[in-house]
Amino acid sequence: MLLIKCPYCGERDQSEFTNGGEAHVTRPKNPEQVTDREWAEYVFIRSNPKGIYYERWVHSHGCKKWFNAVRNTSTDEILLTYKIGETPPPIKKFQNTLKSPSGEPDVGSGNFTVKKP
Amino acid sequence: MTDNKIYFKFDGKKYSGVKGDTIASALLRNNVKLVGRSFKYHRPRGIYTCGIEEPNALVQIINEFNEPNVRATVKKIYEGMVVKSQNRWPSLKRDFGSINNLLSPIFSAGFYYKTFMGPKGFWKNLYEPLIRRTAGLGKPPREFKSKSTHLHHNVDILIVGGGLSGLLAAKKLAGTDKDVLLIERENELGGILKNSNKVKSINDQKTSEWLEKTERLLKNSTNIKILKNTTVTTYNYSNHLTAIEDRSVGIEPDNKKSELVLHKIRTENTILANGHIERFLSFRNNDLPGVMLAASFEKYIQRYDVVPDNNPVIFTNNSSTYSLLKLLIDRNCIPRAYVDVRDVKKIERETLDLLEAHNIPFYPKSEVEGCDGNNKIKKISLRTKKNKIIKIEASMLCISGGINPDIHLFTQSKGLVKWDEKILTFKPEKSFQKTITLGSVSGNFIFKKIIDEVNQKLNFIDGVNDIDIKIEVNGSEEFNIKEIWETKNNNNSLWSKSFIDLQNDVTTKDLTQAIREGFDRIEHLKRFTTNSMGTDQGKISSINALGIVSKLLKKSVSEVGTTTYRPPYNPVSFSAIAGRSTYEFYDPERKTPIHPWHLKHNAVFEDVGQWKRPWYYKKYENESMNEAVQRESKQVRESAGILDGSTLGKIEIKGKDALEFVNMMYTNSFTKMKPMSAKYALMLGEDGMVKDDGIVCKINDNHFITTTTSGGAANVLSHMEEFAQTEWPNLNVYLNSITEQFATFNISGPKSRIILSRVFNNIDFSNHKFPYMTFNTFDYLNYKVRILRASFTGEQGYEIYVPPKYALTLWERIFYYSRDVDLVPYGTETMHLLRAEKGYIIVGQETDGTVTPLDLNLNWMIGKKKKDFIGKRSLTRSDIIKGDRKQLVGLVPVDKSYGIEEGQHVIEDKNIPSQIDKPIKMLGHVTSSYFSPTLNHSIAMALIKEGNRKIGSQIYVSTSNMNVIPVEVVKPNFLDPENKRLLS
Ligand SMILES: [Zn+2]
Repeated sequence: MLLIKCPYCGERDQSEFTNGGEAHVTRPKNPEQVTDREWAEYVFIRSNPKGIYYERWVHSHGCKKWFNAVRNTSTDEILLTYKIGETPPPIKKFQNTLKSPSGEPDVGSGNFTVKKP
Repeated sequence: MTDNKIYFKFDGKKYSGVKGDTIASALLRNNVKLVGRSFKYHRPRGIYTCGIEEPNALVQIINEFNEPNVRATVKKIYEGMVVKSQNRWPSLKRDFGSINNLLSPIFSAGFYYKTFMGPKGFWKNLYEPLIRRTAGLGKPPREFKSKSTHLHHNVDILIVGGGLSGLLAAKKLAGTDKDVLLIERENELGGILKNSNKVKSINDQKTSEWLEKTERLLKNSTNIKILKNTTVTTYNYSNHLTAIEDRSVGIEPDNKKSELVLHKIRTENTILANGHIERFLSFRNNDLPGVMLAASFEKYIQRYDVVPDNNPVIFTNNSSTYSLLKLLIDRNCIPRAYVDVRDVKKIERETLDLLEAHNIPFYPKSEVEGCDGNNKIKKISLRTKKNKIIKIEASMLCISGGINPDIHLFTQSKGLVKWDEKILTFKPEKSFQKTITLGSVSGNFIFKKIIDEVNQKLNFIDGVNDIDIKIEVNGSEEFNIKEIWETKNNNNSLWSKSFIDLQNDVTTKDLTQAIREGFDRIEHLKRFTTNSMGTDQGKISSINALGIVSKLLKKSVSEVGTTTYRPPYNPVSFSAIAGRSTYEFYDPERKTPIHPWHLKHNAVFEDVGQWKRPWYYKKYENESMNEAVQRESKQVRESAGILDGSTLGKIEIKGKDALEFVNMMYTNSFTKMKPMSAKYALMLGEDGMVKDDGIVCKINDNHFITTTTSGGAANVLSHMEEFAQTEWPNLNVYLNSITEQFATFNISGPKSRIILSRVFNNIDFSNHKFPYMTFNTFDYLNYKVRILRASFTGEQGYEIYVPPKYALTLWERIFYYSRDVDLVPYGTETMHLLRAEKGYIIVGQETDGTVTPLDLNLNWMIGKKKKDFIGKRSLTRSDIIKGDRKQLVGLVPVDKSYGIEEGQHVIEDKNIPSQIDKPIKMLGHVTSSYFSPTLNHSIAMALIKEGNRKIGSQIYVSTSNMNVIPVEVVKPNFLDPENKRLLS
């Protein structure tokens, strides 16, 4: 159960929020002028990195506001939240916090609860 | 009662225990050793431990709704408790299922995966019922009543465990400005101080005196809260932990079910001081009743004043059993033998002195080979230093295979553990969260070091001071252990088994076999053998399994690794998880203001989302649903009907950019639409699929009211909010749910205008003044009503929106004015029939998230001149315009006497071969089907491949009895295609 900081209400329990998928996926300005492929990229294709991920959340059982968050998908730590419309912080800012719990490998998963010798 | 005896029943026989007894301690008091049968082989099992780690002694509490799998070693007795053993038939002593034990060669690891593969149908009809009867633990309760609740805590520091180190930590934090929560599993604080006599004195006082003083100090500290009888079960991310408190320990719960509290704790720092668990050893028949962990045996004496046996044999590989030896001797109970796998040179001086002074048969560098007996130990067989087998008569055997820090919670928190070669166990290495481990859970088994540890690890907290106490121990300070996981077996009979997991009946042989078959990764091995997958998660045995596997693989334990310990730490009752959310509180029921009237008029209700909607009304006692629906729908078409449509979702959209926003949300164009008019509108997802439909009412360019499907209201609002906030935050638009601000009645039928003119006699309802798809707000009595000319039945119809508090009176008034008009109340089923006659779709019935407006032939609803709306671009994707998609059509049976079944397949070929060897080509499926009383035949809608092109042709619909019926494909508009009725 994560503790998520709503930019409007402060820290609240995860159960009050709903995840809204990847953030900063912009809707094409002129949908009629984009190719099928470009449109499909917008509608269907999302990135799924292990590590730093920009995503949207909505405080659905609270102020109902949408906001953005930076989460480390390998540790589930939410590193930062910011309002819609604010400039996302560069990914470089977070590189050094990229760590896995329990010494998991950088790619893929596994149940390595023992420190690698 | 004058004495302090408590009477309870076990398997029908009455026993007595004393206050504070667990079921196990009370049974041991009565010398009952056999308490259950094992999971797979139905072997006799006794009480193995004295706490939460118990793998064997699981019982069923009959008078608490049959609560199954209760640990007899934890549950405290009360007067009149009725307890039953589990997993045996017909009785505990003569169990039929124990034949499984003799069949064990076929029940080996992977047995289920390999054996029950075929023939077809055998699993469902034969194997599964058979396995279910013989395998498994207790029987599930038939009833369920819960008084459980949930509580939330936000604290600075959570201390898990009220033993010596937990108490020292709390003492250190007492009087600071930190909010501290201390959680203790047992009903008393003290932990090791209560369980054993290892600690002799603290500050030259008896440990009980020190405990009393400390507890008083903590209770007087305003910043410390103590919860007893509470077990922390889960350690999540963000220092969020859950714990279960049992509020009816040792008393009969007043509603026959324990009152549990699920505590949800959010903390800044977590101090794990949850101690250790002793582990067992594998040898021949190490599951026989009478085998017990040494520290548990000691705990029964110390905590419960029960000596399970006066002259047990002690078998150990480490120094910790000294305290048991001393305790027994202090009580004049002389062990029959002391067996230690260590060399005499390694064994502590104190132990040797005691053994010698009391002439106890002593076997250093020896091991227990196995034990024998029928339902309990009779003889224990030893292999001595000189490899000689000798047999000792005894009825109990106390074993200790070492000590494991209780790292379950630590690993749940994602902390890293490391194998320690000196103490032969995993211990915490690195925390992932703000987690501190203290005492034996951190691998610190030396009491004198605890003070330093507490001071060192907690000094970072503001406002704490160093604490200093003097601890004297019985016996040696150092912990010494020799590696051994299993002893050599001298007897290969079928009965002889050396267990590695007692609860799941996994033997060391199963491990060997699994490795031979290639399952040499520890996570695979666990699943293949089910080792440590029981409700106890192998608390006393999982490390032993790693030890054995490491030997078999010739690797170090560290390389083998450990499996993931998963939450919960111990089984959590569903009643605790459910809390108060049961029965009517599980999911709220929403009722319309007309609900009491529906009840009075024998409505049968249907659940639509959380709403209770009248499905149909029973006119007389035996009227069937079909009869009612035929009657209601006929009457609507002949005179008039009224439907309670209050459940319709209603959303108000306001703002300078409301028009632009509504244009983006729906496919239709609203720009040229006149104020005070309405439009049937479609909402798509960005993928172009129909998401919802409803009526959009335009008050003006800055103010719209839209309706949504009853079940989709919340989703539609959040869909709108999402786009308003994230995609077009620059638009000035405000959204508000007004579903509950208005009750809605749909009146339709040829007589509806007459009825309304009577009720609202100042309003002109003529077609000229009040045309189709217009609306207005009127003053009526002392409130306002909004009336919309619209219809979902194809008849002349009106929708009335009224504030809920006036709704019931208005509803009754409408009936009052229709005394001679034959107005019928109708439910959702009749509504479905009526709209199907007109070919109107229902989102969720004709659509399933893969249907575009083009597939529904609703092209006319798409604003052609609109540059953009949500989903528009997808409608021209190559995949969508391919032409071979499924389209909505109507079906009419060629022979009008046939009925079409909803959900059936639509096929091209009328012949279904008797032997089906390849899939039959399917055109689509029937989405709706009804018998129309007005048309006097069956009508259906279906989504079928290239449906539009098939209109006029004959195809087939399958039936549930493997037949087909021929149908004609028609346009889905069965009644009044010219809309004469609608516009009349
Ligand atoms: Zn908020």
